[in-house]
Amino acid sequence: MKFTTITKWELKNTLKSRKFMMIFVLQLSVLLLMIIVFNSFVTNIESDKGIAITPSLNGFATMDVQDQSGLISKYVNPEIISVNNVTTYNTSILRTENGLTTGFLYVQGNADTQIKTGETVNMLVYVDAADPKMSVVTNEANNTAKTIAQSYSSSLTTSANTQNLTANFTQETTGESLPLQIIKKVMLVILLFLPLLLFGNIIIDSIVGEKERKTGEILVAMPISHSQIIIGKSLAVALTISLQVLIWLGVLLIFGFSILNPLAVFVFIFLTSIPIIGITAVVAAYSKNYKEAGIGLSLAYLVIVGFLIIPVLVYISRKSFIANISPMTIVMRLFSGQFIAIPDYLLCLGFILIVSLVSYWFAIKMFARDDITFGPRPGILRILFELLTLKFFRK
Amino acid sequence: MDSEDVMIKIESINKSFGNIKALDNLNLNINRGELLGIIGPNGAGKTTAIRLTCCILKPDSGDIIVDGSSIHDDPITIKSKIGYLPEEPNLYERFKARDLLRYFAELYGVPKDKIEPRIEGLLDLVGMTDRGEDRINTFSKGLRQRISVARALIHDPDIIIFDEPTMGLDPATAASIRNFIRQLKGKKTIVLCTHYMEEADLLCDRVAILNKGKVRDVGTPDYLKSKIHGDVILTVKTDSLLDQASIKEQIMQFESVGATKFADGTFSISLNHRNEIKSIVDVFGSHIVAINTQEPTLNDVFIHSVK
Repeated sequence: MKFTTITKWELKNTLKSRKFMMIFVLQLSVLLLMIIVFNSFVTNIESDKGIAITPSLNGFATMDVQDQSGLISKYVNPEIISVNNVTTYNTSILRTENGLTTGFLYVQGNADTQIKTGETVNMLVYVDAADPKMSVVTNEANNTAKTIAQSYSSSLTTSANTQNLTANFTQETTGESLPLQIIKKVMLVILLFLPLLLFGNIIIDSIVGEKERKTGEILVAMPISHSQIIIGKSLAVALTISLQVLIWLGVLLIFGFSILNPLAVFVFIFLTSIPIIGITAVVAAYSKNYKEAGIGLSLAYLVIVGFLIIPVLVYISRKSFIANISPMTIVMRLFSGQFIAIPDYLLCLGFILIVSLVSYWFAIKMFARDDITFGPRPGILRILFELLTLKFFRK
Repeated sequence: MDSEDVMIKIESINKSFGNIKALDNLNLNINRGELLGIIGPNGAGKTTAIRLTCCILKPDSGDIIVDGSSIHDDPITIKSKIGYLPEEPNLYERFKARDLLRYFAELYGVPKDKIEPRIEGLLDLVGMTDRGEDRINTFSKGLRQRISVARALIHDPDIIIFDEPTMGLDPATAASIRNFIRQLKGKKTIVLCTHYMEEADLLCDRVAILNKGKVRDVGTPDYLKSKIHGDVILTVKTDSLLDQASIKEQIMQFESVGATKFADGTFSISLNHRNEIKSIVDVFGSHIVAINTQEPTLNDVFIHSVK
């Protein structure tokens, strides 16, 4: 069990390292920032106003309206034009001329009564031709007139039809809307999984660093197998990640996030870290230096992130069984308090197990190979060829 | 030699890196308790042979038996018996000297109660007791090499392998490292890989000359020296009036003369023994400007073997 010695010293050095502490604090700050952004986003989306996707034109133009019935001013879009109800014709004309309002809409008589009796309603729009915003006022006045006309003609058609049995339609909903689920659940699950992807540099430093500093030779000369070295180093990273996940879980709970089954959530995130570290170890074992490892890791993490998130989105929209293959789906269901059937768990755990076994086997095999560690290193295509021809397994 | 006296037996080892054959059917025995030097030019396969013995690399074919264990069957046991000092003293920069020794002691499985006394003893041996709490990244190359020696000895190994231990060190530090090796001589089986012929001559019981992945010769330094040049080289610097052809003819008549070379007015004569020196010198008569006798060095052996 000498890998525990490696784990102990790696962990000790990591936690004592100033660089690590800096990264740790920085990550926590980013998390706090994300929580604030996330909270305000959700608060807005849950409010009555909602969130306008297009920029608001509120207050862009103002219009004085003299309308006895108040019908016209009711139909003017307040997002575009601020309406100022007036009673004096001359004052509004003057206000328009002096630029105090963008335009003036005058409705003769009582529009409501006129429409009901089938009379034509005369409207006058008075604008300053020099004002570039005048077209907004004329357009809006025009649109308002059209809207009123359409709604009244529709009303007349309905009342004329004696067979009209239109029910008084009301809508009731259960649960959250799909966009809200995606934002609330997916964002929270991403926050929870983020530490797994932030500590790849530790395993890279731990394995590639041995090559770059040329300390690997003395480590390999120790009475300890290659597998124990890889497992010892990986375990140290897994423990560091679990510490970070614990802190993050605590922070999220303190900030009022609803996370049911926190212990099960923690266990699943920890289990997920094992294959991710395994894949990182494969990249590290093959890479000659930090630069290569960085490129390899970015590519690998793109695939991992895609693999984790896409099933979550699939699950939200379709409740598909196969979506449980991603531990993110299980974690999301766990913290939402959903019932999870045994096969769903087994699918996820089985996948974690298979990826872990394959990735660690690969990492150990690569680390133990003379040509990869001491050169001349075979290219990726050569390794793929060896895999296809089963030569890799014999080496 | 009794097989029980052989500590390391290298048997028909072959090792290639890509198209480069680093070791070509290498055979070598290293006896228990001896200090064997391995000398050879760059790329001769010295480091590869050492790495194979330490189970850092795997051979393409052949076997190495270390104290009865094969590198194929029991590499962990072999590793635990060897203290290895690689060519470059690359250590964990962030470690303090004592922590570094503790880390390796734990990896070697040194019993807990023995770790601290051993660390103190080794720091004392390498003269670094006062630097034990300093980080490695504050050490000079000489200090790094000293702490590396301590690291290689932390588990009190039966076999110690030094790969170029004095390379790039100042003369004083190199002398202190040689002194550590001398202190260990006779108590441990030591393999010393070096470029410095004087070092091998001074320290080693036997020397193996490696070239192009093969052992060219092996024996005691005296045996190797005598094998190439005989016992002594007589150099006679002469004036320009000398008839060198006639002199050479006369010299070759002596029974002790092995080979004769003439260059830049100087005769270099290899002699099997010293008995005829006076008679040979007399041949030169009044043409002698300077005369000197010179023992062959391991350097001569090395150049002769690898040319």
